[in-house]
Amino acid sequence: MEQAQYSSIYVAPLHIVKSTSDLTASRSKTGSSHVEAGMHSSDQTTPPLTPHDASEPRSKANEPVRSTFHNYLRAFYPFHPPASVSPSAVTLPLDAGNIILVHSIHTNGWADGTLLDTGARGWLPTNYCEGYEHIPMRPLLKALADFWDVIRSRKDATLAIFRDQDYMRGLIAGVRFLLEKSDCLTRDSSIVRNHGNIRRARKALLSDLSSLVKMAKVLQDIASGSTSDRPVDEIFSEMLLKAFKIVTRGVKFLDVWNEDAGANRDIESVSAILDRARSHDRSTPLTFAPAPPVNLKEESFYADQSIAATQREFRLSKESCKSRHRESPGHDRCYSQREASYSTLAGRPISVYSKRTSVSHRMTSGGYTIGPKNSKLASERLRSSHDTFLGCLGTFLGLHMQSRSSSELLLTTQHSVKSCRELLTLIEVVLDHDMRRAENLAEAKDAMYDNITELVHAAREAFRPLPSADEDMLFIPDEGKRLVNAARDCVRGAGECVAMTRSVLERIGDFEPEANELRSSVVTIGSPRSSRHIDMDNERSHAGFEEAQSIPVEPEDQSIADETEEQSAADDPRDHSIADGTEERPTTNEMEEESSVNGPEQDLPPRLVIPETIISPASPLLLSFDASLPKSYSIFHTITADSVANASPVSTESVQAPSTNGTPTIPENELATFEPIIYASSQIHSDGCSARAIVNSTGSSGTYVSSGRDSEVSVDSQNSTRATSPGALSQHLEADVLENQLSDSHTISAEECDETEAKIMEKTFAHELMYNKEGQIIGGTLSALIEKLTAHHSTPDALFVSTFYLTFRLFASPQEFAEALAYRFTYIGETPSVAGPVRLRVYNIFKGWLESHWRHDCDDIALPFILHFARNMLTEVLPTAGKRLVELAEKVTDIHGPLVPRLVSSIGKTNTSIAQYVNPETPVPAPIISKSQLLALKAWKTGGPNVSILDFDPLELARQITIKESSIFCSILPEELLATEWMKRSGSLAVNVRAMSTLSTDLANLVADSILQLEEPKKRAVLIKQWVKIANKCVELKNYDSLMAMICALNSSTILRLKKTWEMVSQKTKATLEDLKKIVDVSRNYVVLRQRLQNHVPPCLPFVGIYLTDLTFVDHGNQTTRQLTTEEGSIGLINYDKHMKTAKIISELQRFQVPYRLTEVPELQTWMQDQLVRVRSAGEKTFQNHYRRSLMLEPREQMQARTSPTGTNPPGKSSEKSFDFRSWTHTHRDKSIATNG
Amino acid sequence: MSLQPRREYHIVVLGAGGVGKSCLTAQFVQNVWIESYDPTIEDSYRKQIEVDGRQCILEILDTAGTEQFTAMRELYMKQGQGFLLVFSITSMSSLQELAELREQIIRIKDDENIPLVIVGNKSDLEEDRVVSRARAFQISQLWGNAPYYETSARRRANVDEVFIDLCRQIIRKDMHRTQVRDQESGSGGRGGRTSRGGHRSRRVRRRDKCVIL
Repeated sequence: MEQAQYSSIYVAPLHIVKSTSDLTASRSKTGSSHVEAGMHSSDQTTPPLTPHDASEPRSKANEPVRSTFHNYLRAFYPFHPPASVSPSAVTLPLDAGNIILVHSIHTNGWADGTLLDTGARGWLPTNYCEGYEHIPMRPLLKALADFWDVIRSRKDATLAIFRDQDYMRGLIAGVRFLLEKSDCLTRDSSIVRNHGNIRRARKALLSDLSSLVKMAKVLQDIASGSTSDRPVDEIFSEMLLKAFKIVTRGVKFLDVWNEDAGANRDIESVSAILDRARSHDRSTPLTFAPAPPVNLKEESFYADQSIAATQREFRLSKESCKSRHRESPGHDRCYSQREASYSTLAGRPISVYSKRTSVSHRMTSGGYTIGPKNSKLASERLRSSHDTFLGCLGTFLGLHMQSRSSSELLLTTQHSVKSCRELLTLIEVVLDHDMRRAENLAEAKDAMYDNITELVHAAREAFRPLPSADEDMLFIPDEGKRLVNAARDCVRGAGECVAMTRSVLERIGDFEPEANELRSSVVTIGSPRSSRHIDMDNERSHAGFEEAQSIPVEPEDQSIADETEEQSAADDPRDHSIADGTEERPTTNEMEEESSVNGPEQDLPPRLVIPETIISPASPLLLSFDASLPKSYSIFHTITADSVANASPVSTESVQAPSTNGTPTIPENELATFEPIIYASSQIHSDGCSARAIVNSTGSSGTYVSSGRDSEVSVDSQNSTRATSPGALSQHLEADVLENQLSDSHTISAEECDETEAKIMEKTFAHELMYNKEGQIIGGTLSALIEKLTAHHSTPDALFVSTFYLTFRLFASPQEFAEALAYRFTYIGETPSVAGPVRLRVYNIFKGWLESHWRHDCDDIALPFILHFARNMLTEVLPTAGKRLVELAEKVTDIHGPLVPRLVSSIGKTNTSIAQYVNPETPVPAPIISKSQLLALKAWKTGGPNVSILDFDPLELARQITIKESSIFCSILPEELLATEWMKRSGSLAVNVRAMSTLSTDLANLVADSILQLEEPKKRAVLIKQWVKIANKCVELKNYDSLMAMICALNSSTILRLKKTWEMVSQKTKATLEDLKKIVDVSRNYVVLRQRLQNHVPPCLPFVGIYLTDLTFVDHGNQTTRQLTTEEGSIGLINYDKHMKTAKIISELQRFQVPYRLTEVPELQTWMQDQLVRVRSAGEKTFQNHYRRSLMLEPREQMQARTSPTGTNPPGKSSEKSFDFRSWTHTHRDKSIATNG
Repeated sequence: MSLQPRREYHIVVLGAGGVGKSCLTAQFVQNVWIESYDPTIEDSYRKQIEVDGRQCILEILDTAGTEQFTAMRELYMKQGQGFLLVFSITSMSSLQELAELREQIIRIKDDENIPLVIVGNKSDLEEDRVVSRARAFQISQLWGNAPYYETSARRRANVDEVFIDLCRQIIRKDMHRTQVRDQESGSGGRGGRTSRGGHRSRRVRRRDKCVIL
């Protein structure tokens, strides 16, 4: 992005004219007569040459009131200001159909906006545009605005929020919403199937989305520490551009959809949307500008062409438009365009832009549009078979994670193989027609075969039932990975093939393949192919199989067959039992059939050779699915049976051995060729989670590789037709790679589309989350928050989780919480790709709750539901976890108190660095107390004379006070701090918080009391000094709570007014006291104390009042809910930000809940306790007593001199006041007298 | 003196727990556009306002949450130049508790005419009202005609007015003090106070009309 342009110093050119022409009027006129309309438009309104030329402000009166601020505008007319217009202003040239993100709109009608197509920012005339905000697009548009904020605001922040991809979810959800509303969510929906344009627009949208997701991944890596050679800013700019592109794609998609599907869809829901959108359209103030005179001859011609291609039924209007075009070039083009759109879509404005782009894909669109009529053309067949194949693979990708029924998987595999075969046959045909015999295409086709073989292997792999879940680690079953990778490879391979075939077709010209050419594939192209395959004649296929089998096996003799057979069996013996033989057989047969059919067809040898030989070695593997082998295969059968018998992970060892034995004949270059494949598969394994998985898949990949080698061997030995001279292969590979890079984005996008497809399919509540500018979640519905809590892609940060456990009772009942978790558990099942990890996380949340965050007082009510969930839903999917949860829940029922005794500060602990600061090795300091002191205490206990605070060492007193307070502080539970629990007048749970405040108050009173007990000022001064010393020692001990109490007492008016006493206090003590006062100064929100606390490590006793005040203000100063406006209206989200703040403060407090390592002196504790109790016994009157005592000790001389008490007050005022005090407040009678006195 | 730029005044908000005084403070300090309120930062309780054409910075000390630390109160009070005594119109005891607070303020400040505003909060809960307006006015008159406002922190009604009124009192007292100092006259204080009392009562009545309407 051009950062330089962000500053809004640019002044918009002034004087924009708003057109007077009324939309409906002009439309009806143009509708009646095109030519006339053209004249009309050019006559009546003089189009402004540039906005500068705007003549009159006359239009302002007629101009519809622009009531709403549109975040997005869409250009309806091209706007190409001459450079001379306003050199000082950056104006944005527009093409019709462009989408603009608006930052601000100047009153003169110019808007500061970013053009999504280019990312350029500048001024643009709003009267050339219209507000763009169609309902289906709304979430996506909003997401882009949010995305913009996130990306733009990260400058001052760290990359922390990019560590996970939450900020991406809005865009994904937006795309999902668009597709959902347009009924195109799944690739299999009829709209997508039936409308090529929609399909392509959808694909383009998804591929852009996936490329953005890919960028986000890169960013994620960078944010989590890995270095990148690219500047981060560059990545951000690129992401922003990509996000823009997604929106433009979305807009195009919607246009195309409206054009193709919307108009003739009669499904109610869809038309309802349309209606809503339409009515919305009408409500938007449409500033209608005259078509500006832009020299767009070529472009308009182009557009007309595209109309010709796509909208034959409007030939007439097009003709007229063309003729008009000739008459007055440029001027009326837009009108005619609009007209065409309007007539087609009953008022839906459709951009001309989309049409123009369709022209840019001339080659493909030509093929496509002709397609339906000429479906026999090779290009069309290629397209359709490619699409079918991708469709199969797509369903495949979604299937992998969860243990689906084996038959389902088999069926998918079968379909994939089938459609792949169609594609390959077609490629064969094309290859035949190509005189030059494109080597790279042949190579790509070979690779495709390998890919599909790997897919079949992987499918077998995935049959394994999921390993039982380990409860303590999030174990992601890995089997699916291989399958996904294989499917992905297939997609990529197919993309390559198709791209190459296309280029060949372009070179040699399209043709209609002969029926006999497609003999083997006739089945595949016709629609009833599947049934025919299943009905396939067994005998014939058996024969074919036999034949095929014999061909490759011959030279290498039995060993290969044995070996592959054995491997496949060892690979996963269970497959035998699981696999449904009858279902799988057609696949196998089908492949065999091809070779058998093709085999005798010697007239086209080059076509036949390659598929045949590649398939054959793979077939024995497939065969192992077949439990009901005919007798002719008895040899294999027995081998299979044997290997099944001793099948165990160990057998993989034995598998590898023969395979190496079997391959010595492979030329070295062949080995080299396969290295990448081996490497690739080993990479897959490294991702594996359990050792077992690795062993298994290694075994299978070994199988695969060796069979691949064998096939190559047989190719070499049997067929010289293929140019596989040493060295040539690697060249091909290189060429392929190059080709791959150069060829087209289609290949990559196709692959990524599937990934995105899966993402889009995921049911999500992400749109019900609210983020702040820093990208943190600040609000959400319960479901959305739970979704975030159990996200599969990243662990939510510790604060988020601890906040949940700590505060969820404030926004949901325990029962609701449990139900929401169970709901999450259920609905994620619709997205099998991620269901596994998510379900484990749900389980872990339950577990954490029961183990360490259970509150018997309010959570017990949810127990029956949790038990039910564990016994039924959880056990069904994750038996071990289910069992464990049942055990836990039962334990919770029996035992009162936390199961896992939580550490003092374990709950909500967000900072793991706390650990234990006090090294247990450090020696506990010995108490500073003499024997005589202890004796005196003992004597006091048995009724002897009282001891004084002066008798003890200040440090030891500070220590004992600290121990006392710390023990209460450490037992404060987090729930005591929620929702101002401690303020409750009755039945407060916050016993420890209350005890803290009581102790503080008592301590303060004790200080005052001890001083006031003494008659002589000098003695009082000594005591003040002692307390200052103790307070100072408290600071050394980081006991700020006691410090606060002491300072409060020393600073109270009762003590402070004792002038005679303070005169006796040394300057040094006073200075110390001043320093101490500064520490607990309340001004600027305790800035000094807060700073000190921040730097302290526990043990430490912070002043609890700060936290209490903070918590009170968070609770009262923030709303409970946040309003989120959605298409359904406004919904109240849980203000999670408030709870996060609460949790943060509580965790701050908990950070210090570490006991001191100090030795208690029981005698001293007893004495102190006695003193405190004595002070407290005075109750509410303590303060008044102290004040009276204070006045007694040092009467108010000065005051008396100035104003005598009671009587001398000005008549009426003061006496009246004290009188009335008595009348309505009785408790403080004494004091009020004292006050007045 | 009138051209003195920005003055900083300390306002202490007092009242029993649960009367919603923290809401009052939060509402006042927060700007409308702030979407979340963080009370843990240094400026959480500071706000600049304009009173009668002068810019003042108000630093608000609110004891919310620490009412039980009775020993702490004096610490706050010492800082304050003006006081908001908040009670809830739904709780008689919350009004009665104010008396003690006022005593304490007067004692600590050693000044009977310390700027002070009585606030009856939760005016939105009219149906739960237990403290009648008449009763509140009575108190107001007893306390040297301290202005009485009824507010609704929840609906943000009269919130700013309360603080502005208090700020105005502080400024006036400030000016008066300087005047007195300038005149070097010892007797000026009393007379000034009485006259100001009259001003205040007039203002009370005017304000209260607004409240009732």
